[in-house]
Amino acid sequence: MSTINFAAREINFKLVYYGPGLSGKTTNLKQIHAHVPGESKGEMVSLQTEDERTLFFDFLPLDLGKVNGFKTRFHLYTVPGQVFYNASRRLILRGVDGVVFVADSAPNRQRANAESLRNLRENLTEHGLSLREVPYVIQVNKRDLPDALPVDMIRAVVDPEGLAPCFEAVAQHHQGVIEPLKAVSKLVLEKLAQRA
Amino acid sequence: MLVPTLELYGEAADRVGEVLVDLLAQSRSRYALLVDRQGFVILHRRAAWAPKPPSLDSLATLIASNHSANEAIAKLFGEHGFRETVQQSDGVSTYVEAVGERALLVSVFDASAPLGKVKLFTKRALERILAVLDETREAAPTADFGGSFSADAGALLDELFGDGKSA
Repeated sequence: MSTINFAAREINFKLVYYGPGLSGKTTNLKQIHAHVPGESKGEMVSLQTEDERTLFFDFLPLDLGKVNGFKTRFHLYTVPGQVFYNASRRLILRGVDGVVFVADSAPNRQRANAESLRNLRENLTEHGLSLREVPYVIQVNKRDLPDALPVDMIRAVVDPEGLAPCFEAVAQHHQGVIEPLKAVSKLVLEKLAQRA
Repeated sequence: MLVPTLELYGEAADRVGEVLVDLLAQSRSRYALLVDRQGFVILHRRAAWAPKPPSLDSLATLIASNHSANEAIAKLFGEHGFRETVQQSDGVSTYVEAVGERALLVSVFDASAPLGKVKLFTKRALERILAVLDETREAAPTADFGGSFSADAGALLDELFGDGKSA
């Protein structure tokens, strides 16, 4: 649900990075933060446990500039991937405009990919949403693993209908990080234009 | 769907801005913010004597998320939510009141402002803000997000991210 602040002449979009634990969601935000020019980004906030696992969320605001006289901004969030943090994931999905699903290429994480997608669907339903109406792209991360599963095999689990744009990535080396962000942002903007 | 963060435009926004200025003067708070429950800043004011605030985006996001988490805790006990939230440190503290279902009123204050005073004047400011929102009959401004909006914003995305190749 994009929000418009007429008082400040701002439009705000909320993008959420979702996926199983340790799939690379926080790494995506760190890479984006490291590569976006200073004037276009705000501070990155990370709420982590002592062992650097996401406890609540990571947050990074991006400023696109003015469009039609409105400052246009994207707020990027990650969710905690560990199974037992579902209450936090549900809270963070409130008001979501677009989702980047970060899947893990490791063979032993295929089940976690499937479980996380099922959890995403359930939590969206709690907010009265579904993946059919929320712009959604897939990033298949960790493509540099020697035993990485074929992309088609992962996609069969996280997007069985083959509807979502899909990007291969090695997020820790900044490969395939920007493409899914740009793609989901454009889908969100297109959706707004369709409903205007 | 594009929805206003709060039904707050033109004169009503100016009036709420004045309420925030009064709140700062009366409570001796450093900053007063009206924050959307999703974590976006709607309006904010800073006392003339206050140091530069931290990132307001970060502050608003953390306040809103914290409020949502507190609400979830209250629901575990069968409550609708907590009416107010106080976070106190030896230096800077925050006091948060819900503005209906859509927004939060936040006072950020230091040790020079007694908590009781901050609470009192924040509650009074809340009443005034709710009255302004209730009285507002001004039609929502219109903005055209069809036509070239998507293309123009897309062009800015291209400019920011280049051709989209990250490595």
